[in-house]
Parts: sequence; structure tokens; C-alpha cells
Amino acid sequence: MIVRVGDRVRRGRAVSFSDVPVDAGTVAAAVRGTAADVAVECPDPGPVHDRVGLVTDGMGLRTRTALAEAARSRGTDAPQDEQVATLRERLDDLDPPDAALAVPHRDLADLAGEVTDLRERVAERRGAVAALRDAGGDAETARSDLVAAARELSEVETERIAARQRLDDRREAARAARDVRERRLRLEDRIANLEREARAHLVETVRTEFASAVRELGHDGDPFDAGAATAALGVARVADLAAPVVLDCDRFPDATAAADWLDAPVIRL
Amino acid sequence: MLLVVAYSRVARRTLRNACRAHEGTVVRRFGRAALLADTEFGAFQALRLRERHGSDVQIERTRPLNPYSAVPAPVREAAAAYESEAHPNTPYERFAAGTDHPSAERMKAREL
Repeated sequence: MIVRVGDRVRRGRAVSFSDVPVDAGTVAAAVRGTAADVAVECPDPGPVHDRVGLVTDGMGLRTRTALAEAARSRGTDAPQDEQVATLRERLDDLDPPDAALAVPHRDLADLAGEVTDLRERVAERRGAVAALRDAGGDAETARSDLVAAARELSEVETERIAARQRLDDRREAARAARDVRERRLRLEDRIANLEREARAHLVETVRTEFASAVRELGHDGDPFDAGAATAALGVARVADLAAPVVLDCDRFPDATAAADWLDAPVIRL
Repeated sequence: MLLVVAYSRVARRTLRNACRAHEGTVVRRFGRAALLADTEFGAFQALRLRERHGSDVQIERTRPLNPYSAVPAPVREAAAAYESEAHPNTPYERFAAGTDHPSAERMKAREL
């Protein structure tokens, strides 16, 4: 590993920069990629590095999740992995269309009102035609009014049937889209449950080692109650780390002692 | 009332949080659905969820059912008779055949 901070370059499995003012987060970022003024040449960090690649006194840690990653870094698998992969593929294949948003009811309500009005008008005009005919008058104009109203009624009725059909179609499409979303949610829930089981399985495989690691750091009692920095060091010791761990905490006399205990490259600040 | 249904894990979480934060607006909570009060604030909460999660949130408006004004008497009577008189394993169609009770098909074709 080669670490450069400003114009200082240090090499080896355990390096210390406690004599140089440098931000721990910047060094950790340099391990992962690039950072201003700091460069670290080292193997690529794995997922467990995201959890315990930087150990500081004020850090937070989801210990079980980190420990499961540590188990994976050693090549341990969980019996649930295969099923999770299968379900993930099925999940990727589900592409739910957008459920139609607002379904316009207004058109339909307007058209229904128009139909009622026109029916009344047709009935009135039919009455007018009959009255004129009974009185022996000329019903020609009244009859053509009736025909016009009847034609309009039939047009609006056709339009209303079409609007009704559109509404039904959109409802059907929305329901189908929601069915897909529901299937997706069920798949996601199953995957989350399996991943929880996998995590528990992985944690079990390294529990004893982790417990003795945090005990060596001075923590008594339930190893999962250890403070975040202590737990992170325990996880790092259990994990198989190729990229360096950045230490910004006083637990080891020097970088070499830390690297030996962690069995990993160390940059001590 | 407003029925809000969540269709994703994040939408379900937001709905749960919204329900917890605004108990007065929640009429009832189900697993990933909730009935919100028919108030502007209920609508505000529902629309906020929809704004954040799009199609993963379904909003429907429900209203209380008064069977005496909304449901025709023959349907009410058929329901009461089927439950009290029919043998537990008798399908409704068989029960209704030869009686004055409306057929299932007929009821399906008529909206309330």
C-alpha cells in the first residue's frame, strides 16, 4: 500500500499519519477512490469496507449487518442466496405500468345530465306535435324540431356510451397495473425476509470469533452491546480485508500493532 | 372517507408514518392501507403520499352505506333470506331459483 498525504508518501502494510493534520473521512474516501490531497494505492475495497473501513470514536454501526458482510468477505454464503437471486430476477422482470391517475368522472356526469335534458325536450316536442295535430293545426315546424331534438339525443347517448366504455377500460387498466404492483410488493417482502434470514445465518457463522474479538478490546457482556468503534474493530478483525482500514481512535499503541491484530492493512491517524 | 392503499415498501412505510403522526385523521388502519377522515386534511395527507410515491399509492373515496336508502328492498330481502333460510352449502343461484329473489346475474347488471 502506498499512501500520499500532501507531499508525504508512506509505504507498507501499516502506516501512520498521526503527525500530519488530515481529515479521516478524506483518507477513507481516498481508499475508495479519489480525494483532494490524499491518494492511496491499494486493492479495491469490498462491501464490508463501507461499514468498517473507517473507525472513529463517534461512528455509528449496524453491527449485525456489518458482521454479515464480514462473513461474506471470507467467502461464506447463506443458504438463502440462491432463492434471493431467483426472486430478484423475477422482480426485475416486473415492470408495472403507471396506474391511470385521476379517472375523469366529470365527462360522464355532464353527459348523463345532457341526456336527461334532451329526453325531456324530446318528450315536450312530441307533446307539442300531438297537441297541434289534435287541434288540426300545422305541425310541420314542430315535427322538424322534434326530429332535430331526437337526433341530438341519440348523438349524446352514443357519446355517453363511449365515455362509459372509456371509463371502464381505464379502470380495468388501473386494476391490472395495481395487480403487478401488488405482486412486486409481495416479492420485495419475501426477498427482505430471506435476506434477514441470510444475515442471521451469516452472523451465526462468525459470532464466536466476533465475541472474543470485542472481549480482547475490553468489552464484557453481550458482544452486540459493544460500542460502535469497538464493534467495528471486532468486525474488521473477523472480516477478510484487502484494502486498508482507516483508524482514527486510540485503541492500539501503533499502526503495526493494529494491522497485526486486525490482520489487515491499516492507516492510523 | 378516503381509502389509501400502498403498493411498495417505501410507500407503505410513509403511510405508516403519516398514520402514526396524524392519528386524529386516521379512521382505521389496515396492513398497507388506511381509511382517512373525509376532511381537507385527510385529502392533503393522501395527496401528499401520492405526490411522493406516484402510482404506488391508490386513493379512493368511500362513503357509508345506508342499506335502506341505497339498496332496493328485493336485494336486502334476498340477503336476509339467503343467510337465515338456506342450507350453508347451498349456492345462491340454487336458493334463488323458483323464488321471487333476484338472480345473481340480474344484480350484477344493476348498479346501486
